[in-house]
Amino acid sequence: MSTNKSNGPAVRIENVDKHYGTFQALRKVNLSVERGERIVVCGPSGSGKSTMIRCINRLEQHNGGKITVLGTELNDDVANIDGIRREVGMVFQHFNLFPHMTVLENLTIAPMIVRKVARAEAEVTARRYLDKVRIPEQAMKFPGQLSGGQQQRVAIARALCMQPQIMLFDEPTSALDPEMISEVLDVMVTLASEGMTMICVTHEMGFARKVADRVVFMDAGEIVEEAPPEEFFTASRNERTRQFLSQVPGH
Amino acid sequence: MEPIVLAPPAPGKVEDLKRRFFATPLQALVSLICLAIMVFLAWKLLDWAIFSAVFTVTGGPEACQAAAGACWSVIAARWRIILFGLYPFEEQWRSALACVTVVVMTVLSCIPAFWTGRRIALVWGAGAALFYGLMKGGVLGLPYVGEEAWGGLALTLFIFVTTCLIGFPLAICLALLRRSELPWISRTTGLIIDGVRSLPLISILFTFAIVLPFALPQWLVGDKLYRVIVGSALFFSAYQAEIVRGGMQGVPAGQEEAAMALGMSYWQRIGRIVLPQAMRNALPATINQFVISFKETSLVVIVGFFEILASGNAAYGTGEWRFAYVEVYAFIAFIYFIFVFSLSRYGAFLERRMAVGER
Repeated sequence: MSTNKSNGPAVRIENVDKHYGTFQALRKVNLSVERGERIVVCGPSGSGKSTMIRCINRLEQHNGGKITVLGTELNDDVANIDGIRREVGMVFQHFNLFPHMTVLENLTIAPMIVRKVARAEAEVTARRYLDKVRIPEQAMKFPGQLSGGQQQRVAIARALCMQPQIMLFDEPTSALDPEMISEVLDVMVTLASEGMTMICVTHEMGFARKVADRVVFMDAGEIVEEAPPEEFFTASRNERTRQFLSQVPGH
Repeated sequence: MEPIVLAPPAPGKVEDLKRRFFATPLQALVSLICLAIMVFLAWKLLDWAIFSAVFTVTGGPEACQAAAGACWSVIAARWRIILFGLYPFEEQWRSALACVTVVVMTVLSCIPAFWTGRRIALVWGAGAALFYGLMKGGVLGLPYVGEEAWGGLALTLFIFVTTCLIGFPLAICLALLRRSELPWISRTTGLIIDGVRSLPLISILFTFAIVLPFALPQWLVGDKLYRVIVGSALFFSAYQAEIVRGGMQGVPAGQEEAAMALGMSYWQRIGRIVLPQAMRNALPATINQFVISFKETSLVVIVGFFEILASGNAAYGTGEWRFAYVEVYAFIAFIYFIFVFSLSRYGAFLERRMAVGER
């Protein structure tokens, strides 16, 4: 894609509004994410954090303002959107693996039909990423046969198989049993250390402290505070942030 | 308080029967009476169907009428009419081969090894050409036989298979259109589906066979058989579309989102992610619809086609065999049973196969 070489931030969100009927989910949101930057987005439920990152690959359409991803503005141009989606991987709260395909097929289908990679090559890549998320032995199983933590690691590998430039994580550990959270976070930490551009909606404050370059706090559809983790956790300026932090364990 | 009793060890077969049917004197009596009635009925049926039945043709209808049991000689004498209808006598081997062709290509396309686009297309392309060439003739020195002379089992199979072949893709299109985000498309499609479903099949067949030729330009009219097939496919698709849509509703929204997030196009999402899962959800209802459609082929008799049931009527209705209609209907029922029962068993096989990825 031509956007590969373009300069400027990976994601730029300018004055973005989003309405669901009369409910306003996002109010004049501004956020700029540099290449290689790792952003953690947190906030109470219903604050618009998921909506915001879902706008970045246009699973939701914004109603006002401007979103530019890898130098391409998101509009109604379908080719544009598909181009962006190829470069932006996403991991969902509920994994959303394809239950009718094996793990290996889950990983190879998009590279094969979207990027037109040959099957053999796609399988080599898939196995490499399965190694990386530490479940190479599960390749021939179906998602329903794996634990939640394993499924989420497959989902991460599936997104990575498209060789994306940006990874979005939408509460990747919220649906997991407590003992499985760390195995997923470990994979995400490794990914962060390799320089992937990451935007993570999560309540895992330990993870935020460890890898985030910036923590973004949202409430009622607005970005209330934006700061490096040290400053965010120790010296947050905003009352709502402090209140939220007092209710979330682990920081 | 009732004492807690451990379950006794499982009883043997005889013990079990005793406990279920002969626990009290009254129960034993009722059981014996029922058993006696069942044995009596089974004996009567076997006696009629086999022991006192006439199987040979040599005695003619008279030998049959003298006998107490079933007259299977009517089948021996008339099976060609039942299976092939009005198809010319000397050419009936072609109709038989055509039936075999349909069965073979249906069986082949039911085998998972053939589920690639190219193989399915090859099977159906070759099968359709072979069927058509055999039935209609006019090629390779085979005498021409017009559609109006087609009949019996070959016609039943032809109408069923083509109805499904046209109706199924149409059903998927309708289901997708009804799911459209554009309200005027989804509402119009909904209106069409509900409209077709509200009409009886007979009136649709009648309209397509008799009324449509007045409304259509001459070059579009085509043979009555194809108009009837289009009508029955339309009817099939209206029902099947709702079955497919129901199946799609069972696929979580997250599935399509995940496919979108991977950059798949609309058709890739539908073809690779949504439909395979939707069809799994819709499988029991779909098999049901196929079974109903197979049996509904018998309705084409009202627009003058001699499918297998109508051919059966003709087989005994010509005077000398008039008394033997039960045997003819039993024979036709048996043929229906073979096809519908195989269809149901195949559905069960598919369900087991598709359950692999579940849990």
